[in-house]
Amino acid sequence: MNILLVEDEKSLGESIVAYLTKSGYHCEWANSFNSASEKTWSYEYDCVVVDITLPDGNGLEVIERLKSIKSKSGIIIISAKNAIEDRIKGLDIGADDYITKPFDLAELNARIRALIRRRSFDAQNEIVFNEICVSPYDRTVTVNDQNLTLTKKEFDLLIFFISNQNRVVTKESIAEHLWGDNMDMADSFDFIYSHLKNLRKKIQEKGGEDYVQTVYGVGYKFTKN
Amino acid sequence: MKLLDIANRYYLITLVLVFTIGSLGAYYVLKSIINHEFNEKLYAEQAQLVYELRNFENLQRTYYLNIGDVIELEEAPTDPKLSPTLKDTIMYDQYEKKELPFRMLTFSDKINGKHYIISISKSLLPNLDLIQGVTEIMIGLAIVLMISLGLLNRLIFQKLWSPFHHIIAQLQHFKISHPVPLSMEDSDVEEFNQLGNVLEEMISKSIRDYKNLKEYTENTSHEIQTPLAIIKNKAEMLLQEPLEEDQLNEVSKIYEAATRLSRLKDGLSLLTKIENNQYVEAQEFCLKEFLETKLQTFEELMEIKNITLQTEFIDSQKVMINQDLAHILINNLLSNAIKHNVNNGWIKVKLEKNRLTISNSGNTLIVPPKELFERFKRNTDNRESTGLGLSLIQRICEHNHMTITYNHQNEQHELKLSW
Repeated sequence: MNILLVEDEKSLGESIVAYLTKSGYHCEWANSFNSASEKTWSYEYDCVVVDITLPDGNGLEVIERLKSIKSKSGIIIISAKNAIEDRIKGLDIGADDYITKPFDLAELNARIRALIRRRSFDAQNEIVFNEICVSPYDRTVTVNDQNLTLTKKEFDLLIFFISNQNRVVTKESIAEHLWGDNMDMADSFDFIYSHLKNLRKKIQEKGGEDYVQTVYGVGYKFTKN
Repeated sequence: MKLLDIANRYYLITLVLVFTIGSLGAYYVLKSIINHEFNEKLYAEQAQLVYELRNFENLQRTYYLNIGDVIELEEAPTDPKLSPTLKDTIMYDQYEKKELPFRMLTFSDKINGKHYIISISKSLLPNLDLIQGVTEIMIGLAIVLMISLGLLNRLIFQKLWSPFHHIIAQLQHFKISHPVPLSMEDSDVEEFNQLGNVLEEMISKSIRDYKNLKEYTENTSHEIQTPLAIIKNKAEMLLQEPLEEDQLNEVSKIYEAATRLSRLKDGLSLLTKIENNQYVEAQEFCLKEFLETKLQTFEELMEIKNITLQTEFIDSQKVMINQDLAHILINNLLSNAIKHNVNNGWIKVKLEKNRLTISNSGNTLIVPPKELFERFKRNTDNRESTGLGLSLIQRICEHNHMTITYNHQNEQHELKLSW
């Protein structure tokens, strides 16, 4: 999977590239409008992550250019502006998703995965993690070939974990992923704990293993080891 | 009341006053002129009569000199020595066949050696006609004047005041978030030109201030986001490293603080945006449907706390509100009701005409209820909470002309929205 990151902020770009590379993507980085234009012209990426504000141009133009060459890349906008007009404009000209700074790397990663999954046009595409098999389209999960009934949030939580496997995922980023701005952080932690407890229980009932490790005070890690 | 109506009212009052006084004045002036004329005539007739009496033989008891004039002669035994006196009296008029006012000149004279008291009376009939005439003329004039003034006034209003109405019409539709520059009609009236100029200056200043403020808010939130994103993401990267537990905790605290700061900033800039009136686009909104979908999203959370939900939607009216603000408002209200609830508690959502009540079970309040709406007042010591929730709710309510009241009774809390 090839990803192009268009981001002018060096420190931010480094983190994103490092995180995505560790997640198994081949990640290229353009730090200016010009370099982005060059790269998008010569190569087709599975996903392009674009920061709207660039020193030598507007990220929206990068998207317009991608659209004009009929690129099949999925597009995610990164913006510091949480303005609705920007969001609407970005989605209008063909971006697939929108993420506002400051975001969690885990969240960006989950969104990229979801986007690539959607764009791969393979509805049967299943995510397999040992005995757990998730089908994101009909939102079903099987463990050892037995159907697992999950609530909406439990399902989202499981996908989020699998997308960020072998990573420490903070409880804040889980809360953000599950509820967005709907909940104040503090209150959501109890809810995460409850959801997680139920999820673990349900998987173990079907003979599945508990892959969730608690990283005390920080969050959780979904890992095979 | 419209300016035109007020002006017309004053015109009418002035006209009535002026015409009443004018009519009275005209009446008295005319009357004194006529009286003077009558007196002259009476004295002239006296001289004529005395001359005729002295020079003609046969005296008749009564003469009619002018038509309508009555002359009476009365013999007196001695000289009554009456100097000529004028007085008004009522007599029977043979022509008009009724009692009418007369002016009478009485004097005495010696004719052919005999003393007589002589009176000449002149009918004052024209006097009554005069009053009638004056009144009619005055009323006629008043009506004509009133109508012409009214028309003139209307014309002046339409013509002269048109720049003023033009300005008002534009101001009524003026929105600071979508400013349209004022277009001024050219006017010969200096005051209107002045008004136009002053307004234009004021408005462009307001637009400038508004833009500055908006830019400031946007810039701040924009410029803060990137460093925050860096802190957060670097901390996130560090968390992936094989760190000692206490190191992990330290990094986690950096991460948490950055997250909190970002949320705080979001909340504050939202408050500023509401206060700056940046959410002007309202649309019709079915509150009932909206509440139902929102409640669904909170269903799982309520299940976790085993909260019983009771809804009562009596009304399904539509309200005018900005959609984003409605989301924030209802989200905040419902999530408050859940997070301040106790396990196995309850929530009641009741929608009536122009009123939404959300009540819930919960713990007893520590902070005085009034302070709850202030920024950064929390009922818990929970530093993770931004403490902006209720003041956001309040701002949104104010912005949409809703009132919000909070009531609590021991372990029952109730938030009532009315509009």
